[in-house]
Amino acid sequence: MSSINQIPVIEAKKGNPLARVFDELVRFCRSRSLFILHYCTGCGAIELPPAMTSRFDMERLGIQPMVSPRQADILLITGYVSIKTLKRVILTYEQMGSPKYVIGICSCTVNGGMYWQSYATAKKLDEYMPVDLYIAGCMPRPEAVIAGLQQLMDSIHAGKANSWEDYYRNYDYYLGNQQKLFGDNWQTPTDVIAEAKHYNLLSKGTLGVHTRLLEQHQQPLEALEMRLGHNLKEPTE
Amino acid sequence: MRPENYEAQRQPPSNEYELNFGPNHPGIEGNYALKVKLHGDVVLEAKADGGYLHRGFEKLMEQRLWIQNIALVPRICVPDPSPMELCYSMAVEQLCGLKVPKRARWIRVMQLELSRIAAHLFTFGGHAATTGMYSTMYWGVADRDLLLDLFEEFTGGRVYSIYNIPGGVRRELPDGFLQRVTETLDYIESRLADYDNLFFKNQVFVKRAKGVGVMSREQALAWGVTGPNLRATGLAFDVRRDDPYLVYDQLDFDIPTEENGDAWARTLVRRHELMQSIRILRQVVEALPDIHGPIRAPIPNPLAWNVPAGETYTRVESSKGELCYYVVSDGGPKPYRVHVRGPSSMHAVQVLEKLSVGSRIEDIAQTMFSLDACPPEVDR
Ligand code: SF4
Repeated sequence: MSSINQIPVIEAKKGNPLARVFDELVRFCRSRSLFILHYCTGCGAIELPPAMTSRFDMERLGIQPMVSPRQADILLITGYVSIKTLKRVILTYEQMGSPKYVIGICSCTVNGGMYWQSYATAKKLDEYMPVDLYIAGCMPRPEAVIAGLQQLMDSIHAGKANSWEDYYRNYDYYLGNQQKLFGDNWQTPTDVIAEAKHYNLLSKGTLGVHTRLLEQHQQPLEALEMRLGHNLKEPTE
Repeated sequence: MRPENYEAQRQPPSNEYELNFGPNHPGIEGNYALKVKLHGDVVLEAKADGGYLHRGFEKLMEQRLWIQNIALVPRICVPDPSPMELCYSMAVEQLCGLKVPKRARWIRVMQLELSRIAAHLFTFGGHAATTGMYSTMYWGVADRDLLLDLFEEFTGGRVYSIYNIPGGVRRELPDGFLQRVTETLDYIESRLADYDNLFFKNQVFVKRAKGVGVMSREQALAWGVTGPNLRATGLAFDVRRDDPYLVYDQLDFDIPTEENGDAWARTLVRRHELMQSIRILRQVVEALPDIHGPIRAPIPNPLAWNVPAGETYTRVESSKGELCYYVVSDGGPKPYRVHVRGPSSMHAVQVLEKLSVGSRIEDIAQTMFSLDACPPEVDR
């Protein structure tokens, strides 16, 4: 994450009318070309193919599936997340480039739904990552999914879909819940704190008890070294 | 497509590497992963890595009333939920000695076969998409939606119908429903020629699928393979005919088989099964108007229902293979133990692991989709 400082930050030029027009344009374009990450966590995913294909046709709204998290804008959590999946979901979420939006489809993401007493699922999604929009139902129909996406488009256009900033502002809270579930030595390859500094979003809730715990346990993740047993050299910058 | 005579060059063993294939990968069905060890692009070893969809069904079912479990079981296999409800209901009926009325049995057959058609169309769509043929996927999913409309009309739910209860079915068919079933069947039958041209006879698909993931009959039997995958190795075994339940013994249908046991043969068996399901449904539509009577047997107050102690084992033929329930009751209001023997846990774990070895990495998707494994049911 050392190279992130080299990316120039565009300072918001307040008061400049041209900048406001530009912002408006950017928001409009953003809301009209959204890529959904192709990751299906639970049974609600079965209503996504109908929503995407000929009958309900999400593409007419400018929404398409995308296979890689780095290029995707929307993370759709389609149903219950088991604890094993939740780890991957968090890794994926942190890899996505900002601005990013999270939609929780299905009652299971709201409060556990059918599986409220299951030992294997995480109950409330918004304890682990900020959620922009919930589409409740078991399972929501394709029309409901599309209506939800339209609502997301509207709030992106209005500049209200800012939950990703919340992840940086309150990182300590989210990390704490993650640590409660996955153990104290939980860590991800993404340096969220450095990113928070980069976006100028470092605030009171970013650092705290849990991030200090993270620092204690954090080891530099060396790519490939764990599985193959080869002595690969550090990749040079 | 692969060039003829292509052979990866043998490299020193340091070129072997491992890849995590899935869980977020379009070549994998659902939320499921494989750890593969590769040499070049040839798979040396594959290890299934499931558990992403584990919810602990068998434990959850012990904590709910007999009737509440009806709402839970369809979630085990999402693309083909109807056999799940039916198999569980049959188990409870056997424990209580309930006799299901004739009309309910015919309606249940109709629901099962509609569900089978929907599941097969969905599988074809997913399978075609891994070969890059997205039109088949768009068609398959859109045609499946017509069946979901029928489901919505007579059960109230698009995907999870929760229509069977122990003793019968929940509601009577709406007026004019059988007419609409016939129309939908006619439409789907008329589309099959198009599907043949677009997908089943398409050289892009045939060349990719022929000779991939070959399984002999002995291997299939040893690995616990059932359903269309077993029939693709030439063995005509179908629970509907060999251990009939409901009214399948009064219906006239064939058991399609293929000889090669490869991905192509498995897909063709499903294609023929689609025709057979349409044939069964036409007989049901013809017979149903003349069958009158109640649609469910009287059951005690479901909220205070103590099912007599005992154990039972039921099996049905789902679109993926043989689905069985082992249910034990200790005479209480909740099951003592429920075990689900789903077809996909064999297909997606041991069979997929073995069939992937020696194939190339892009053929894993062919193998997996042609086995038609359903990850939620593997993990349960
Ligand atoms: S809300 Fe219902 S459909 Fe959605 S994931 Fe939960 S059980 Fe499945």
